[in-house]
Amino acid sequence: MFWKRQKKPTLTLFFATDVHGSTICWKKFINAAKFYNADVLILGGDMTGKALVPIVRQNGDRYRVTFLEQEFTVEGQEALEEMKQKITNRGYYPYVTTPDEIQTFQENPEMVNALFKQEVMKRLEEWLAYADKKLAQMGIPCYVAPGNDDFFEIDELIRASRHVCLADGEVVELSAYHEMVSSGWSNRTPWRTFREADEEELRRRYEDMIRRMKRPETGVFNFHVPPYRSTLDEAPELTEDLQPRYAGRALVPVGSTATREVIETYQPLLGLFGHIHEARGVIRIGRTLCINPGSAYEQGRLLGALVTLAPDRVKHYVLTMG
Amino acid sequence: MMERNASAATLFVRQATGLVRAWSMFDAFIYAFFSVNLVTLGLYIISQMYFLEGALIPAILISTAFILFECIVYAGLIAVMPRAGGDYVWQTRILGPGIGFVLAVTGWWFILWLWVPLYGDMLRQMFFTPVLGILGARGLALWFIQTPAGLFISSVIVCLVVSIYVGLGMRRYAQIQRISFFISLVGLMVVLLLLLVNSVDTFRQSLEREATAMFGATGPVYEGMLKAGEEAGAIQPLTTSPLWPIFLAIPYVVFFNLWPNWGATLYGEVRGASDFKRNFYSMAGALVITAILAVIFMLLIAKTFTWDFFVKANGAWWNYAWGYTDTPPPLPIWPYPALLAAFMVPNRLVQLLIVLAMSAWWFGWSGTVFLSSTRVIFAAAFDRLLPERVADVDPRTHTPYVALLLMVIPSLLISALFAWDVGGFQTLTLDATLVIAVTYLGSTIAAILLPYRKPELYHASPIAKYTVAGVPLITVAGVIFGAFLVFLLYLWLFDPYQLYGIGLANTSSVILMGFLYALALLIYLGFRAYRMRQGIPIDKIHAEIPVE
Repeated sequence: MFWKRQKKPTLTLFFATDVHGSTICWKKFINAAKFYNADVLILGGDMTGKALVPIVRQNGDRYRVTFLEQEFTVEGQEALEEMKQKITNRGYYPYVTTPDEIQTFQENPEMVNALFKQEVMKRLEEWLAYADKKLAQMGIPCYVAPGNDDFFEIDELIRASRHVCLADGEVVELSAYHEMVSSGWSNRTPWRTFREADEEELRRRYEDMIRRMKRPETGVFNFHVPPYRSTLDEAPELTEDLQPRYAGRALVPVGSTATREVIETYQPLLGLFGHIHEARGVIRIGRTLCINPGSAYEQGRLLGALVTLAPDRVKHYVLTMG
Repeated sequence: MMERNASAATLFVRQATGLVRAWSMFDAFIYAFFSVNLVTLGLYIISQMYFLEGALIPAILISTAFILFECIVYAGLIAVMPRAGGDYVWQTRILGPGIGFVLAVTGWWFILWLWVPLYGDMLRQMFFTPVLGILGARGLALWFIQTPAGLFISSVIVCLVVSIYVGLGMRRYAQIQRISFFISLVGLMVVLLLLLVNSVDTFRQSLEREATAMFGATGPVYEGMLKAGEEAGAIQPLTTSPLWPIFLAIPYVVFFNLWPNWGATLYGEVRGASDFKRNFYSMAGALVITAILAVIFMLLIAKTFTWDFFVKANGAWWNYAWGYTDTPPPLPIWPYPALLAAFMVPNRLVQLLIVLAMSAWWFGWSGTVFLSSTRVIFAAAFDRLLPERVADVDPRTHTPYVALLLMVIPSLLISALFAWDVGGFQTLTLDATLVIAVTYLGSTIAAILLPYRKPELYHASPIAKYTVAGVPLITVAGVIFGAFLVFLLYLWLFDPYQLYGIGLANTSSVILMGFLYALALLIYLGFRAYRMRQGIPIDKIHAEIPVE
């Protein structure tokens, strides 16, 4: 008589973060489920890009554009589309305009904000349509939680999606054994972005969610800002006028004490973080495996983490670079 | 119109996390300047070239010209794939994960075990022995410089100092390096000034006086060193010689000037063309300024010591240090130019200050030996090609103690083998350069192929605009630098003129290199198989996710 070992059920999740408007990264994220055989897709915060790139029509089919600090002259529709694709893949928003309109923007900078939102929403609509189509075929759940760089209007757009779920502030059941709480909010930054809060406020936000979990100890904490002094939060030290000290070599911890406290208190199985693009890494805080896969969205490379969870432990994980 | 577009570009950038001003080129220059360290690496290797027929200054200038292409290659790779883990990621992405792992861990981790006794040798020669000699501790000074135990203890101290740097972190190390930079420059300027204003006669008199007082030198030291150097076969010319011997001297010179790219992957974000140029100028600037300083330094040495004396003094010392004779030379220590220059100031305190200021060249630079290695170890652990534990950091001090142990323990073992010259280990100095050159060759091949293997990545980068006759600049620079590396590797490995001592004819060298590459391959294949069995898709972690 032999005792047969029962294979425990597992859940494999793919996590990426900080795609910052890069369409190629978004598409890779959606396709990652099939590529890595993941059961769930989770995207951390900061989905939106940081800059519009004006493509200025000169005359006829001739355009000029300053991209990556270089002047380009673009001629013809095909070259124009190619340039727009390049800009889009790098996470920026191409905007075809005229010298007169540029002049108007310079005289009325507030108009740029409206244009920015319009372009961000347009791109996100395209992304969600792409995801809805692909995810319907795959039958894979996909959760996103906008980050501190994302303005609030995008939440409504995500809520309207059929297959992409807005996870921010929610307790999501990933499997019969694992729940996930998500927050895209961060502690204060020098840039005064959209979703920032003091540490006490962050802690309160976290606690509101964790209180609703059945078993935080087998859960996943998907928080945009990493725990303070975890190595996952090391960013280049900046001078007062935002210049990196020592050519960017000097790193300082900028993570959240609130995040650290809830990880230490509740000891979930897994902590998923982002926010600090250069702090790619893995560390354990107590029994909690904490991961920041980092971000290289400008190069169109999707950095991610593939994690397999058993009911009561992290079975295995690996950082990816797709 | 251009001005209008430029201001428009600024207008259309919104406030978002991480948008910072450009990083300082000067700060990057300091790291590169220390990496091609004229005083530690430079004087150390120049002193070992005494038997070569190729003139030193042309060898430095020609090698500098070739290494400028290395600066283009690395600035280009960084512009396309910044902050990505450097050689490891470039090679895994473009050439394949196995090649990337083996070349990165051998070049950025394993071979640095051999660099530790070399750093230790420099530390005792440039710091302990001169300082102890000036302070009157002659016995201890000579123990450090003349005994294997002295070299071993010096290597242990290297491990301690560098472990402290790792524990302090990059921020503190950058501060130490910046302070060391200014102190070391002051020290060098004083040394150059002493060489400039003093005559050969003054030097000879001071040498006889101080060498006898500090180190118990016997007889006419100057004449004695000339004789001992002649017997050692010291002949290297300074300025002129036929071209081919000059090229044969270059495999030695690159021991000190092949590394302007050493810290390049650590610098800040590359957002556009200006950051590519900043990277290039900081590396190239450090390389060129170091070459100019080297030429000035050597010319002033020739003026005040006479080149004949300097080469022969080096020959006399190394002939003894390498065991070709049991009789110590009349000056029984390494002829450290800074100490010889300090001899010309008959004041112990001033002499001490000069040597201490010059030791900042070592203390500001020595962190380079482990700091990059820990990054490679971490990157391999995150790829699950090493156990998770190797990436552990101490929660209180934030020291990556396991990675540090993986550096320190093998380094001490290699240091012992080197110090007691077990199996001719002291002949392997240039292996330390060879193995890293192989890693660089891997990245250079990756750079050559980059525009063709990863066109979307290349064309979306700020270097896509730079071409030479329609061929991408990174490819052209890669071909030139790659040819230079192949030339060096051919000479090192096949050593047709028996000049380098690390070729295939040196059994210890073959065993050491074979062991390092086999160990890397074994780790890669072993962990790959183990992780695949665990269900981790190792084969996919560097693969591009197809977009449908």
